Amino acid sequence: MTKFSQPKDLEQYRQTLQKQRDTKKTCISICSGTGCHAYASEKVVSAFEDQLKKQNLTNMVDMKRTGCHGFCEKGPIVVIHPHNYCYVKVKPDDVPEIITQTIQQGKPVNRLLYEDPETGKKIALETDIPFYKNQTRLIFGNNRKIDPKSIDDYITLDGYKALVKTLTKMTPQQVLDEVKKANLRGRGGGGFPTGRKWETTKNASAEPKYVIVNCDEGDPGAYMDRSLMEGNPHSVLEGLIIGAYAIGAHEGFIYVRQEYPLAVENTEHAIKKAEEYGLLGKNILSSGFDFTIKVHRGAGAFVSGESSALMSAIEGRVGEPRPKYIHTAVSGLWNKPTCLNNVETWANVPFIINNSAQWFTSMGTPNSTGTKIFSLVGNVNNTGLVEVPMGITLREIIYKIGGGIPNGKHLKAVQTGGPSGGCIPEKYLDLPVDFDELYNIGSMMGSGGMIVMDEDTCMVDIARYFVNFLSQESCGKCLPCREGLRQMTRILNDITAGKAFEEDLELLEDLSEVVQMSALCALGQSAPNPVLSTIKYFRDEYEAHLRGECPSKVCKALINYTIDSTKCKGCGLCLKSCSVKAISGEKKGIHHIDNERCIKCGNCLESCKFNAVLKTTGKQILVAKR
Amino acid sequence: MAKEKTKSHFVGVRLTEKQKKALYTLQKNSDLSKTDILLRGLEILSEYYALGLDQPPLNIELKKLEEEAIQHLKALKQIKRREESVKQMIQELREVDEIIDEYGGEKNALIQILLKIQEKNHWLPKPALLWVSERLSIPMSQILHIATFYKSFSLEPHGEHLVRICLGTACHVRSGPKILEAAEQYLGIRSGETTSDTKFSLESVNCLGCCALGPVMMIDNEYHGKLTPSQVPDILSSYRIGELTMTEEQQKLAPIAQRPTPQQQR
Amino acid sequence: MANISLTIDGKRINAEDGTTVLQAAQKAGISIPTLCHDDKLEPYGACRFCMVEVEKNSRTKLVASCCYPAEKGLVVRTKTENVDKIRKLLAELLLSISPSGAHVDIAKQYGVVESRFKQTESPESPCSLCGLCVRYCAEVKKKHAVCFVGRGVDRTIALVPGLSDTCSSCRECFNVCDAGKIVYLVDAIQEISCPPLRSSFKHSD
Repeated sequence: MTKFSQPKDLEQYRQTLQKQRDTKKTCISICSGTGCHAYASEKVVSAFEDQLKKQNLTNMVDMKRTGCHGFCEKGPIVVIHPHNYCYVKVKPDDVPEIITQTIQQGKPVNRLLYEDPETGKKIALETDIPFYKNQTRLIFGNNRKIDPKSIDDYITLDGYKALVKTLTKMTPQQVLDEVKKANLRGRGGGGFPTGRKWETTKNASAEPKYVIVNCDEGDPGAYMDRSLMEGNPHSVLEGLIIGAYAIGAHEGFIYVRQEYPLAVENTEHAIKKAEEYGLLGKNILSSGFDFTIKVHRGAGAFVSGESSALMSAIEGRVGEPRPKYIHTAVSGLWNKPTCLNNVETWANVPFIINNSAQWFTSMGTPNSTGTKIFSLVGNVNNTGLVEVPMGITLREIIYKIGGGIPNGKHLKAVQTGGPSGGCIPEKYLDLPVDFDELYNIGSMMGSGGMIVMDEDTCMVDIARYFVNFLSQESCGKCLPCREGLRQMTRILNDITAGKAFEEDLELLEDLSEVVQMSALCALGQSAPNPVLSTIKYFRDEYEAHLRGECPSKVCKALINYTIDSTKCKGCGLCLKSCSVKAISGEKKGIHHIDNERCIKCGNCLESCKFNAVLKTTGKQILVAKR
Repeated sequence: MAKEKTKSHFVGVRLTEKQKKALYTLQKNSDLSKTDILLRGLEILSEYYALGLDQPPLNIELKKLEEEAIQHLKALKQIKRREESVKQMIQELREVDEIIDEYGGEKNALIQILLKIQEKNHWLPKPALLWVSERLSIPMSQILHIATFYKSFSLEPHGEHLVRICLGTACHVRSGPKILEAAEQYLGIRSGETTSDTKFSLESVNCLGCCALGPVMMIDNEYHGKLTPSQVPDILSSYRIGELTMTEEQQKLAPIAQRPTPQQQR
Repeated sequence: MANISLTIDGKRINAEDGTTVLQAAQKAGISIPTLCHDDKLEPYGACRFCMVEVEKNSRTKLVASCCYPAEKGLVVRTKTENVDKIRKLLAELLLSISPSGAHVDIAKQYGVVESRFKQTESPESPCSLCGLCVRYCAEVKKKHAVCFVGRGVDRTIALVPGLSDTCSSCRECFNVCDAGKIVYLVDAIQEISCPPLRSSFKHSD
């Protein structure tokens, strides 16, 4: 493979690839993102390889390991082209039938098709499945079609076309103006106008300048960036090269969490391939523009995702934030102008260049243009990654695409924005999802984690969970964040243990206010958000805890397990499941739980087939505790 | 044991009983004649003197190195003879050297270098950190701060199997904490600790990125999803017996970054 | 050195370009409380006691004056309702860690007699993690014998193994330590031969 020295060489190669592509040839695309991989998708891949070999079909059928398709609840996912049949929860044992029925006879295997839970009907085509149909898969859509280790796949789908346009037809200022006109806002959490950040970096006087991709996705429950970086790394590279050209940077870094080994592997591979093809390095496509990229791995710290902390880590120092009174766009890496953007933000850039800023602004809302990828997780039927235009309502995302709440339960709240965000109660489900609307309601867009919580979730426990998370992830440098979070954890532990009083709730609110105002960085400043938003919308739950009740029956100190004597059949399954011998009873007799020994693990409730094990909560427990 | 003649084979070299016993053992283990052993010993001894290794400060440094090596192996729960301890430590430090060279000895690459050392050894041994501090001219204080700041690093050897339980928000609402409790109860340790038989290390992590499988427990490179607390003891005990370790075939199928290192394969 | 003019508490001040708001205030005789600041050391910005309200282009924000650069036309207010709230609560937080230190006076100023927060650290090692000892040893002595270990609520200070034997003869960091923790650590090495380096961190309750 020789380097493309001229843009026309790349275009010629692209046309050759596109002509060679036989859209009628059967292609088996198997989702190989980390999620499906955890479902042992590799076993499905080997099963296909074996079977195709056995039946001498290896040359007639293509097989592709693609990036994450997004429908993670139903993995491993296999899509057969050109029919577009989508098979869900595929096992290696299913493979021979798929080959006989679909590959050889062109017919779908009904039992492997997605079943619509409302109608009970099977849906054959991928594009008809409600989960996919109701999305706008602009950035994420190509994941299903490409093998992340194949640069040719990316080029075939018009990859690097925007780069050619940039280098041959646009000046850096024109690129910058286009991104500004598109009103692209940062997809990593802050929602800061990207064009403005690029401009500040470009206009800063110091040299050299740097660009960084932030793939330190730390919000628990969010994995969009991982799937993009694993599944379509070239889309991010292309955006980064275009941005570097606009800003005037010649060195870029991609900071990937250490917990994402597949993303690291695929990104490093993509960079190597791009270098081989002459799309990175010196004098890219004879434009005179030089640019190289290095991958830098994180080492397990949520706070290092904060931009100044991330830059510290790249410099080889501890990943602690610093006061950002001088923006990192002016003085960042090694005190030079540095533009840091999120993975998804960079991935949007090639689309803006290829299709124009005007096209981009036709999607979304005036102040939040374009689309956003969310990770829809928690108590929801269709767990996965969804891409929707800004302005869609929460209700549409959760019900139309997400398929609603499992087990017929009610929705209690949606948590957005990760540990810096807030919980949104059911009454705001018709809120259009965009940066400003979410902020006004006491939450935020954040990186895109959207955690659905059903009626059995205790909101005080959720606040405690987030504060506890942040108290460990805080760098610990500044007093309000470190000691403030320590005391907030203590108070919330007391509340969930039934040991708190009204003054503690007031103290919690005072503490939250001061931490918000005085913490050194955004982690500390936004740490009180989960607490404040749950107190705002679920104050009644906090007050119930002060009275010794946990309405959702989650907080161990405030619940008791009992056996309903009218339902107990004396089967003894609960007794067997109890690891602390807290249950007693004769065979066929009513069983009884000793609350003093009970550790509230819930095994008995899980094992009972007659719904005879109940959880109770109330004042009597509180008296005993205090 | 038959009494050996007190007269030695060398003129001028008289051996004590202890030395004779030691010589006898060496002879048994090495297949060399007594003469060869003693001659070799003298050769090394003369080099030793030539290098000034018997003089301060080098003899003190050597002694420190020996003690360091012995402490190092004690931490690994291995007891070896002095020379073997030193040899093993030197080999490990050579590997650290190679890692540092891969990154061109650049200060900025400190965290990347430490990550590679952690992955190779499953912990950050103190001699390795001292070596990194020397070669990169970074004060030990900074290295210790970094080693204790990031969750990927461990200053104590990890157990044979690393059990990671996801406590991300999505797993939390699917009762992830109950899975952790079940694991803590079964293993008899708390999160962040290693069992006394060094079989298991237990950790909680904030999001493994497979939220659809929640709640998730990851043991080495295997995911166990959609768990109930009652399933945890059975899964863990199967690793104790050795049934569910990664087979060769499974290793081939895992992405490169997740394949076990030669050390992990023991 | 160019001179820039800013306003602090209604007073017109001239400051040298490149100085911080704290330095400008100190030069003009306006007192702002600090805990982690020392003129011999680089500004650290950890204690947040020096926070003030600044206004520029009709936008107001709260900043740490030890780190915030003095700017032309800046309006600074060192005592406002929010600034007072911050100082009072931070003093209360520190009282739960240690009964003595600079924060006691600040607490008195705001009428705090008893902290509403429960006690945290043990009385023998009441460290506020101001970092003065670590920074002094690194920047002035250049010995780097004291370091931070850990993160978040588990963050603490420790002596670096192998270097701490010189600490008992040096002891210069004692002069910057407000809380007595470093004294405890250095003296303790006489009895505990290996340094108090924590290698496994458990979650605090």
